[in-house]
Amino acid sequence: MRIFLKKFGNILTSRQAGKEALAAFEPNLRALTADESIEIDFDGVGSLTPSWADEFLIPIFQRYPERVKFLPTDNSSVKETFALLEDIHKIRLS
Amino acid sequence: MNPPLLSISQTAQLLGVSLQTLRRWDESGKLKPIRSTATSYRYYRQSDIDSFLQSFPKNIFRMGYTWAVSATPYEPPAIFFCPTQVVFQARLQTLFTLLTKLNSKNVDIPLLIAIIGEIGNNAFDHNLGNWPDISGLFFAYDLKKREVIIADRGQGVFTTLKRVKPSLTNDVQAVRVAFTEVISGRAPEARGNGLKFVRNVIAHNAMQLLFLSGNARLQSMGHSADLTINETKGTFHGCLAKINF
Repeated sequence: MRIFLKKFGNILTSRQAGKEALAAFEPNLRALTADESIEIDFDGVGSLTPSWADEFLIPIFQRYPERVKFLPTDNSSVKETFALLEDIHKIRLS
Repeated sequence: MNPPLLSISQTAQLLGVSLQTLRRWDESGKLKPIRSTATSYRYYRQSDIDSFLQSFPKNIFRMGYTWAVSATPYEPPAIFFCPTQVVFQARLQTLFTLLTKLNSKNVDIPLLIAIIGEIGNNAFDHNLGNWPDISGLFFAYDLKKREVIIADRGQGVFTTLKRVKPSLTNDVQAVRVAFTEVISGRAPEARGNGLKFVRNVIAHNAMQLLFLSGNARLQSMGHSADLTINETKGTFHGCLAKINF
């Protein structure tokens, strides 16, 4: 499964929007097959913050740590967001 | 029904200028009030004030500061007021589109939008159900001066942070913690690390931040992790951030 984050919006900044995005996407996650991988695609995302990512990306990553793959991106806000979340949650995202 | 008119005092407060300035602008034609006779009181239409703000350069920092610290709560000019997070999100999207169209050099647009988003959304998240008077944000930008102002009349950093870190005793301590310490396990939900993100972004980019809350004043210059935090004479219960990029 590939999750195109741009489908949730161009600028992904608030916790509330991140929570709503996850709630809306839950049915898709429940349809995952046992060994299916999850690719997170940042193409078309204008700006991402730790708050949005903490409500959407981190719960998915924590639920499927072996199956989530973050696709490469040049977006500076994604890189800086990952740096902070790795520090807060003591995890390695990329 | 006609929209209510604002008195000269209300208009002066809204624009962060003196009564004398408004009288001068009346004489020069820059901002004309409504007067039934040449000597009667001056009144202003909200729509005229909004048009004026769109047409003339303005000191958005002074307007935001005046609004945030005013002892008497009032709503800021409509074009700068985000009463809800949805409005803030829409205006942030507009700024993103404008900056992208202008293709401004030396601006990391994704990071600039991200830190504005963190500061603005922080205000909504931390004050939900607890706004002391006016709920919402003052959000304004001046692309010529490369300046963004985000202000709120919320509870401030000290009040919200003390709930999860009771050892805090003043605004300066609270602001330092907010910008430097990772706080985990914040009840009832994990939140509150947005300002660390802001600090990291400023430290690695050509941006500057001035952040006020209570009687604390934080300054962070671009390309440096150093924070200067000191106490100011005045105090107010919300937050104000000025970002230069």
